Amino acid sequence: MTETTDLERTSAALNVEGLTKVYADGTTALDALSLRVPAGTFFGLLGPNGAGKTTLIGATAGLVRAPAELEARLLVGVAPQEVHLDRFLSARELLAYHGRYFGMAKLEALERADELLEVFDLTGKAKTKPNRLSGGMRRRLLIARALVHRPRLVILDEPTAGVDLELRYELWRYLRRLHAEQGVTVLLTTHYIEEAEALCERVAFIRAGRIIGEGAPGELVTRYGSERLEDAYVEAMRQ
Amino acid sequence: MSSAELRVRQRRGTAALAGRETRRVLSLWTQTILPPILTAVLFLAVFGGALGHRIHHVEGLPYLTFILPGLLVMTVAGQSFANSSTSLFQAKNEGYIEDVLTAPLRPGQLAFAYLAGGLTRGLLAAFAVALLALPFAGEGSQPALAVLALVLTGLVFSALGVITGIWADTFDQHAFVANIVITPLALVGGVFYSARTLAEPWATLTRLDPLYYLVDATRGGLTGFHQSSTWLALGVTATVAAAAILIAATLVRRGWRLKP
Repeated sequence: MTETTDLERTSAALNVEGLTKVYADGTTALDALSLRVPAGTFFGLLGPNGAGKTTLIGATAGLVRAPAELEARLLVGVAPQEVHLDRFLSARELLAYHGRYFGMAKLEALERADELLEVFDLTGKAKTKPNRLSGGMRRRLLIARALVHRPRLVILDEPTAGVDLELRYELWRYLRRLHAEQGVTVLLTTHYIEEAEALCERVAFIRAGRIIGEGAPGELVTRYGSERLEDAYVEAMRQ
Repeated sequence: MSSAELRVRQRRGTAALAGRETRRVLSLWTQTILPPILTAVLFLAVFGGALGHRIHHVEGLPYLTFILPGLLVMTVAGQSFANSSTSLFQAKNEGYIEDVLTAPLRPGQLAFAYLAGGLTRGLLAAFAVALLALPFAGEGSQPALAVLALVLTGLVFSALGVITGIWADTFDQHAFVANIVITPLALVGGVFYSARTLAEPWATLTRLDPLYYLVDATRGGLTGFHQSSTWLALGVTATVAAAAILIAATLVRRGWRLKP
């Protein structure tokens, strides 16, 4: 209870209230969804495919048609689920151009690019084009790109979906480091329960475009009368 | 953040994206600059060299001098359109447009940046063709007028390229506009003949082609010979360019075919 009260006092890195998104084909992806991500937390958004996770991210970052202020985009960095990187640019240029699209001066963007290449162990690949990088390196570059403009909130959309176990653990290591050393708020969407357990301080369950439960993993386990987060998730989805 | 600071960031972002587009043109010069130069040189060689001595003069001008302004307009139109449409289509098709869509750029700024790449490619290619064709060109009565006509050509066709890049979901759709709209407009735009010498309905058909007026204005600037009101043509073209840019920006703002 005390923990929740403290979090309520904390400023929000993301505050969504009553967001609804209906696609052209009539599908309601978000149904009056409300979500508050406290600043400084590693926050997990758990839900099955089609629950609205990617739509929520798209609406927050400007990738889905939704009401949003341009200024707010400066505060958000996104690493989408699919790895799409500009193949005409090298890794260093790709990061620097991203920073410049967000208004950084050229020199500042280049310095930041070098800094992030080092953080993600990509310095040796600075001049390499993305299509010449391994899958793991491309994922790391995508996450680094989300950080270039020093956003307040970094959104990672299923960063380990479809990757092998070794690479998943490697990415977890980078994500922990990112949260600890860069001090950013992280919103991670995933449908891997163990990923949320391993990384997240707080978790929200999303189903059919609505948040159906939110709290620290221990709180959720207690709330749903379960022994593990996995059981709490299954119970929440069943209700 | 103050609105002034946001505007500074947006201007920097626009300049960066325009720079990225220009850089793409230069780094792919064998695909973006060289082919139109070769095409134009072949046109000059075939129509000027091989056939030119049989045609001699058109409207009092040596044939090569007569066709050169039209070739420059064709080059700018084709290359400007190809660059904007291809670059945007690639970014959309390969998904990396999300990098730009998440940036805090205004729709008009985003459209302008893609347009800048098209304009750069069109004008660079035309400049190279003009340099090569300089020995055959006339003295040039109003070169500034010709440059203005070429810039307006670049703006109109770059904007059409942005619209096409947004609209096209497949390579076929993308190629359709280039093959069915741009190429015929270029070929019936009075590049190789004088509209006055044509019988009806061809003369009217030529005068209905918006490119005809741009070719005529450029020819007026480079040779002093023109058949229509140059300033009226430029005024109408400027209006068309403004409308096309507005449409492109509106499509970006609405996220049409860019965002679900």
